[in-house]
Amino acid sequence: MRSLTALRMVIHDRASTAGALLGVVAIVFLVGQQLSILFGLLNYMSVLVDHSGADAWIMSRDVRNADAGFLISDRYVDRVVGLPEVAWAEPVLIGNGLFRTGDGSYESVRVVGSRRPRLAGGPWRFAQSNEDALLDLEAVTVDRLDLAKLGDPGLEAITEIGERRVRVRAVTDGARGFQGTLVFASLEKVREIARTPAGKASVILVRFRDGADAAAALARLRAIMPYASVSSTAELSRLTRLYYFTNTGIGGSFGFSTVIAVLIGVVIISLTMYTSVLSRTQDFAVMRAIGGRKWDIAVVVFGEALIITGVGLFVGFLMLAALLNATGNSSIPSHFPGAVPPILASVTLFVSLLGSIIALRTALKADPAAVFH
Amino acid sequence: MATLRLENIAKDFSDGRQIRRVLFPMDVALAPGQLVVIAGPSGSGKTTLLSIMGLVLRPSEGRLFLNDQDLTRLSDNQAADIRLQNYGFVFQQPMLIEGLSVMENVLLATAVQGGRPPAAARSKTMELLANLGLGESGHVQPRLLSGGMKQRASIARALVKDPAILLCDEPTSALDAESGQGVMGILKRIAIEDQRIVAVVSHDARVFPYADRLIKIENGRIVSDTREQYVRQ
Ligand SMILES: Nc1ncnc2c1ncn2[C@@H]1O[C@H](COP(=O)(O)OP(=O)(O)OP(=O)(O)O)[C@@H](O)[C@H]1O
Ligand SMILES: [Mg+2]
Repeated sequence: MRSLTALRMVIHDRASTAGALLGVVAIVFLVGQQLSILFGLLNYMSVLVDHSGADAWIMSRDVRNADAGFLISDRYVDRVVGLPEVAWAEPVLIGNGLFRTGDGSYESVRVVGSRRPRLAGGPWRFAQSNEDALLDLEAVTVDRLDLAKLGDPGLEAITEIGERRVRVRAVTDGARGFQGTLVFASLEKVREIARTPAGKASVILVRFRDGADAAAALARLRAIMPYASVSSTAELSRLTRLYYFTNTGIGGSFGFSTVIAVLIGVVIISLTMYTSVLSRTQDFAVMRAIGGRKWDIAVVVFGEALIITGVGLFVGFLMLAALLNATGNSSIPSHFPGAVPPILASVTLFVSLLGSIIALRTALKADPAAVFH
Repeated sequence: MATLRLENIAKDFSDGRQIRRVLFPMDVALAPGQLVVIAGPSGSGKTTLLSIMGLVLRPSEGRLFLNDQDLTRLSDNQAADIRLQNYGFVFQQPMLIEGLSVMENVLLATAVQGGRPPAAARSKTMELLANLGLGESGHVQPRLLSGGMKQRASIARALVKDPAILLCDEPTSALDAESGQGVMGILKRIAIEDQRIVAVVSHDARVFPYADRLIKIENGRIVSDTREQYVRQ
């Protein structure tokens, strides 16, 4: 009967229920939306690493993220493929260039060159055409979401990057980097664009044989290449994300707005639950007088908080799903890992129970003797 | 047969600076089968006495017994358990919980410590509401009832557990004369037919004719304690 009482109170006290619901929905929706953008950006940060299809990345010494290394000798490739654990090794060259848009202005782009024919480290998802387009020496890809920025170059459009002639031969789908607009091309084309000396690469991607012991293989690579840094793909991805997360202020900024959203939610929940309980003091006194213990009052107040949180979570996640659906295909970064909803739900539950503590204290003060006054 | 016995009960209230004695040591024993009316001027201590009897207020001195069980030093939870098992209360205001229907308000008294009300409580509630003229109002929200109907619903809430002790503080003061008579008639019937301890605090003279025993309090002291035959005269 205690939970029924809680439910009836929640339904009856519409104004405060609506207020507290708003608090819960605010937490779920605002925090969820912040997190989806944050995870979207985190994905961008390590996008090249995550989609490289390699097991290890060899870069210059002491790299702190996947985007900043000195050029290394591409002769490492030969040294690496000799190892029994290695299936293949491919150089990748990353540089910058100015992309001439249709109206004659320029956009700075990041060009990623991979070696034909394997094209390791190249684009992974296409909106138009496919990977084979890059087998053509002058071919480049642009991303669907960057088309507008680049002046809507159609397929087969001819333009220049770094004053070198290129032809748009494929459109990627969601290949976007944190460091700027990504354009994929062949290794040779990037070498021209970035004017890199021959025999140099930014990264050497290594793929291990199926069933090879990755840890042992990494150790082997490190042993034969003391002057380079050898990272597993997962390590480098983590390192890169962490680097941008802490060095760009993104971490702080998202942390701040998330905390603010949670705080606002807690304050709303606390205040509305408090006023609601305050207006029910007499009812709690009656419940005490007719034989209710303090515990029973606590059950009712927590019951109210739980009901409101449950409904709020439902509404909040529904709104969040609608938002993510609507923005999923837009240029707003958004990614919502499956582990987030349960964590977000638990945190919200915890926070609203926390918010109901002031209300609980008030409710527990209800004096059964007050019923006679 | 249950008796409620107060021995040397006294109560002091402190207003922060000084302590004031509101009830002076008194002995009272309430036996079942009579309607006891506690009367006296405003501020004389009637409600304080009733609250101590009802285990919602602790006396400053003295001891309290239900049959031979000492109720003086109960913990908060023990007192709640005893109230749940043995007591019914009717307050000056009906104090029904808004949001719960009349029926749910009554049933809550049987399950306020959790669980579902026993099936017997449901039929008992229906019967009580019907007897109190609320047969049609079980599923109605309290705010839609008249004052008299609400007070009758609160009597149903007090009676649903078949309590050995029924304590009422000014149950008629919010009612018109006719509803007041009705309520007193019900309380009288419960005391005599069901053999319960029924104590009614009132300074309403219209209540006195229903009394089998009239205890008068002035300034925290019992000034008279009259039995049936004298009350009637
Ligand atoms: N919680 C309290 N704290 C301090 N003083 C109190 C408290 N409760 C009652 N009193 C005082 O005790 C005295 C007796 O109060 P009580 O409520 O018992 O009177 P009463 O006889 O019921 O009066 P009424 O007929 O007006 O209801 C009053 O002077 C009142 O001010
Ligand atoms: Mg009083």
